[in-house]
Amino acid sequence: MNCIITIELGTNAARVFAFDLSGNLIGSAKGHYPTFHDKPDHSEQDPEQMFITMLYVLKNLLNDKVYPKKYTVSCICFSASMHSLLAVDKDGVPLGNSITWSDNRGKKEAADLKASPMGSEIYSATGTPIHPMSSLIKIAWMKNNQPEKFSRTSKFMPIKSYIIQQLSGACVIDYSIASATGLMNIRNLTWDANALDFAGITAEKLPDLVPVFYSDFVLKKEYQKALRLSPTVKILVGSSDGCLATLGAGVWENGKATITIEDSGAFRVIGNEIIDDPRQQIFNYVLTDKHFVSGGPTSNGGVIFEWFTKQFGDFKNAFDIDYAMDALIREASEVPVGSDGLLFLPYLHGERAPIWNANARGCYFGINIRHDRKHFIRATIEGILYEMYSIGKTLEKHGQINSLSINGSFASIPLCTQAIADIFNMPVSTLTQGDSIGVGAFLLSATEMGMFRGLKEASGMVKMHHTFYPKISDHQVYSDYFKVFESLISKIGDEFDAVSNLQQKYSN
Amino acid sequence: MIQLILQQGVSKELVNFPHILEFAHRKNSTIQLNSFSSNVMECICLYYILDGKFDWVIDGQLHTLYPGDFAVVLPGQRIGGESDVLNIGTLYWVKLMVDDSGKLLIGKWSGLNKGEKLAVNQILLLNKRQLVLKLKEAHNLMQSLHAELRNEEVGFCTRVNQLLDELFILISRQLIRQNNSRRDFPQAFLKLEQALRQELEHQWTVDEMAAITGMGTTAFTEKVKNYSGFSPLNYLINIRITEAIKLLKRSEVNVTDIALKMGFYSSQHFSTTFKRFTGYTPSEFRKNNRSQD
Repeated sequence: MNCIITIELGTNAARVFAFDLSGNLIGSAKGHYPTFHDKPDHSEQDPEQMFITMLYVLKNLLNDKVYPKKYTVSCICFSASMHSLLAVDKDGVPLGNSITWSDNRGKKEAADLKASPMGSEIYSATGTPIHPMSSLIKIAWMKNNQPEKFSRTSKFMPIKSYIIQQLSGACVIDYSIASATGLMNIRNLTWDANALDFAGITAEKLPDLVPVFYSDFVLKKEYQKALRLSPTVKILVGSSDGCLATLGAGVWENGKATITIEDSGAFRVIGNEIIDDPRQQIFNYVLTDKHFVSGGPTSNGGVIFEWFTKQFGDFKNAFDIDYAMDALIREASEVPVGSDGLLFLPYLHGERAPIWNANARGCYFGINIRHDRKHFIRATIEGILYEMYSIGKTLEKHGQINSLSINGSFASIPLCTQAIADIFNMPVSTLTQGDSIGVGAFLLSATEMGMFRGLKEASGMVKMHHTFYPKISDHQVYSDYFKVFESLISKIGDEFDAVSNLQQKYSN
Repeated sequence: MIQLILQQGVSKELVNFPHILEFAHRKNSTIQLNSFSSNVMECICLYYILDGKFDWVIDGQLHTLYPGDFAVVLPGQRIGGESDVLNIGTLYWVKLMVDDSGKLLIGKWSGLNKGEKLAVNQILLLNKRQLVLKLKEAHNLMQSLHAELRNEEVGFCTRVNQLLDELFILISRQLIRQNNSRRDFPQAFLKLEQALRQELEHQWTVDEMAAITGMGTTAFTEKVKNYSGFSPLNYLINIRITEAIKLLKRSEVNVTDIALKMGFYSSQHFSTTFKRFTGYTPSEFRKNNRSQD
C-alpha cells in the first residue's frame, strides 16, 4: 500500500502527516522548535535545529506508524510558514539564524518604502503588502544594518529551501513561498527588478523559481538509508502554509472563503485573478500560474485570548492553560451576544490587515458599572472576531462571498464558530480533518500523482464536518456594535501612534 | 533573643559543623565606617533581615532590603553595604563552606539526595542575578537554627543540618515560584532551553530539568512530550546535535572535542547518536558540508 507524507515547517513546530491514497490519516507527529527574541522586534529560529527536528519527527513517524502498517512512501510534500529568511555563505552554510515572519526589525525600511511611490509599484507587482514581515524588507534591513553579513551572503532563502537543499542538494523556491517574499512579480513569475533593486541584490542571490508541483529531486543516499525510503520516492516542493490551508479547507472560487485562527489568523479566498487593492491591504499569493490565494492576515488571533487567559484565567494546576481557557469560554457563554456593549480592540501585537499599523494598541471601550469579569472575557473573544470581520469586508469589496469554512484551534471553539456565523451572517462549516495545511499538501500531491484532474476537483473532496447557521437577531446586535468598533479604529489613529511612541520611549 | 556571633575555629558551638563558617544574629545600633566593605565571597552567604532597612550592593547592583527579605550570595559574587557601611537594624546571617570538590554548592553534610542537590544547585546558579527574595518563612528556620546552636539539646547535630536543608529547599522553591508564573509553559520551556544551551556539556538529569520549571518529574516529562513531541532527554540530545552540526560545518574543532563539549561520553557515543539523528557519522557530515570561509 502506498502513502503520502506531508511535512509542514510551521511557526513553532515541524508537523508530519501520513495519508493513505484516499486521504485518510494514517498518523501524525510534531516536534517543537523554539523562537528566540534576543532583541525587541527580533524573532529568529535555528535552521539546524529545525532541520534536525524535522528529520527526527519524520523518522519516528515512519518507524512507528507507517512501516509497521506495511505502507510504502510514494510522495513527500513540503509546506512552510511564509516570509522566513535565511542567509547562507558560498558553501551553503547558514550565517546565523533564520528570521521569522513575526520579526519587525525592518520597521523603518518598510515605512520608508511604503511612503515612496515605489512602494505601491512593488506591492502591485509582487502582491505582498509592504511590511517588515517580507523578505524584501528583511534583506534591505540587512544591507543597511549588517553590511558585512550582507556581502558575505551567497544566497538568501526561506527555511523551506534550506531544508530541501539539506535533503537533496537542490536550491529552489516554489512560486507560493516566493510570492510571499515581496520579491517575485506575480504576473510573470520572475524576480521583480524594482524589488531586487530596493533589496540591493541580483536574482543570482535567490534560489531558482519552480512551480508548486516541481519534483525533480533525489534524496541524498544517507537520508534514503536513514529513513528507509526508496530512491524513487517523489519529493514535491509544495507550497506555503497559507495557500495549502486554503486549498485544504475546500475553498475554490464560487464565493467561498476560509477563516483560519490559530495564534494569528487570516481570511482567504482562491480566485483566478489578482486583486489589485489601491489601499494595499490585501495580499495575493500564487498557488498555480492561474490561481491566486488572496486575503488578509491578522497578528491578533488566539494569541490574544491566550494572553487574557494567562492574566485572568483560573490555573487549577500548574501550566494547565487548556483547563483555564475552557473555564473562561464557559463563563463567556453566559454573557449575551454583544457583551452588553463592551467592545475590545485586539491590537496587542499592532496589526497587519486591514489597517497595517504596527503602532495600533489594544483597548476596552464602553465599560459601564454593570459590566463584570465575564463581559470582559466575551468582549475579548468578540473583538478578535470583529477584527476578522473587518478583514472579510475588505475582501468582499472585490467579490461576493456566500459561505465560510473555518480552521485553527481558536476558530473551532463552538462559541467562536457560532459567533463567526452570526457576525458574517453566513453559514460557517468546520472541517472533518483538523489540519487543513496537511490536507492541502495531500491534495497537491494527489493531484500531481494524477488522482485528480486538477486542484479544483481535489478541493471538492474536502468534507465539511458541521455547519453553523447564522441567527438573524444576533447578527443585528453584532452589526450594530461593529459600526462602533469600526469607527473607533478610524478615530484613534493618532493616539495609537502617540501611546506606542511613549511606550517605546519609556521602556528600557 | 540575645545577639549571637559564632565563628568557625573560634566558637566551640561550631565544632560539630565544619561547614558552617559563621552564624550570626546581630543587632547593629551604630553606623561605623567600613563596617561592611565590599568583598568577593568564597562561601555561600545567607542573610535574613529582621528589622531596619539595609542598602547593599550585590554583584554591582544596589538592593534595598527590608524585614522579611532574604539575600543569597554565592561564591564568586561580591557583596557590601552602600558606602561600605552596615545600616542600623537587626539581621541573621549564616555562611557556609562549599563542597570540597567545588562542584556542588551543598556539601556532604546535607541529607538531600544527589539529584536534589543537583537540582538546588542548578536553581541557585540559574537565578544568581536575582537572589534577593521575600521570604518571611525563613524567619522561623533562622530562629530555630539559633536556638539549636545555642542550646545543644539532644539531636542538635542532625537538627541543625536539617534546618539548613529546609532553608535551601525553601529558597529554591521560592526562586522557582518567583520566576515562573506557572501559567506560561512556553515561557518556562524557553527558559529551560536557554539553561540547557548554556551548559550542554553538563550531564543533565530529568530531575534537574524539571526543577527549573518548578514541576515534578512525572508531570514535567508528560508536559514536555505533549508540547515538544520529544522526551526531555531526546530534546536535550536534539539541541546537542544541532550545536554539533554548527561546529562541524564551521570550526576547526576536532570531532572528539565537539563530542565532549556537547556532553557526549565519548566520540563513539557521539558518532552513534549523530548517525541515528542525521544518517551521517560526524566525519562524513563534516566532509560533505564544511564551509571554506
